[in-house]
Amino acid sequence: MISETDVQYVAAVYALAWLVTVVYVIILNSKLGRLERELDEIVGLLEAKTDG
Amino acid sequence: MNTTAAARLDRATVAALVAAVLMPSALGLIFFYVPTANGDYAQRIFYFHVPIAVTTYALFAWGALNAARYLWTGDLSLDLRSYVPMHLGVIFGTLTLVTGSIWAKVEWGTWWYWGSTELNTFLIIFLFYCAYFMLRFSVEPGERRARYSAVYALLGVGLIPISVLAVHLGQDAIHPITFTDRGANMDRNMFFTFLVALAAMLSLAVAMYLVEIRGKRLDDQVARLRRLAQEPR
Repeated sequence: MISETDVQYVAAVYALAWLVTVVYVIILNSKLGRLERELDEIVGLLEAKTDG
Repeated sequence: MNTTAAARLDRATVAALVAAVLMPSALGLIFFYVPTANGDYAQRIFYFHVPIAVTTYALFAWGALNAARYLWTGDLSLDLRSYVPMHLGVIFGTLTLVTGSIWAKVEWGTWWYWGSTELNTFLIIFLFYCAYFMLRFSVEPGERRARYSAVYALLGVGLIPISVLAVHLGQDAIHPITFTDRGANMDRNMFFTFLVALAAMLSLAVAMYLVEIRGKRLDDQVARLRRLAQEPR
């Protein structure tokens, strides 16, 4: 007979591993967003330098 | 993009694809194929908890190896290859402690057992490498920081074999002994499932490592580009 509590604990372990992976992807995505913004800023600086 | 960067991208993609195939396979084996040991359903935690712990050790060892290579060659790119595995090792280490605690709660009725040599040595290694970041970020970036970090990373790696052998050395009565001198203490189906889960976790860690290295290198390149853009003509 499988105890319901045991099932919950096992589910918690596997859900946690998935959660960590998803959080990691979210952090990477925010980092890519920051790099994109910085590159836009640098392009602006270079364009201003060329025009000036 | 140069040839090396393209090759790195390919390696990261391959590792991610391998993980994407192995992870569902491991879950399928764990929940639909392998029998539970003595009808103990919570024993299924073993197939994730132990591979995560082994991956943690592998990451710390890889970081320490790159630290040694940095001290030997003085190549600063190896500092990054030592730092990133330490960072990932702490993430996997946190998962090891949390999944282990959940398992302990089911099996022993407590979240932590201070009498277990293996648990305590793992906690010591984990805290040791958490302190690595305090040391690293208290020193200005450059060769001095790389040298201090490398020496610290190398000091911790000696604790890994002690932790692995702790159950045997300390004659630990509570923590299950899965691997003995005679091999794996489980049947063939369980061992096969364990190996698939381990390969899945290792390939996930490799993919995360390669992606993070690329991210850090991009950061450096953007910073260099900004300095160049801000220089007066």
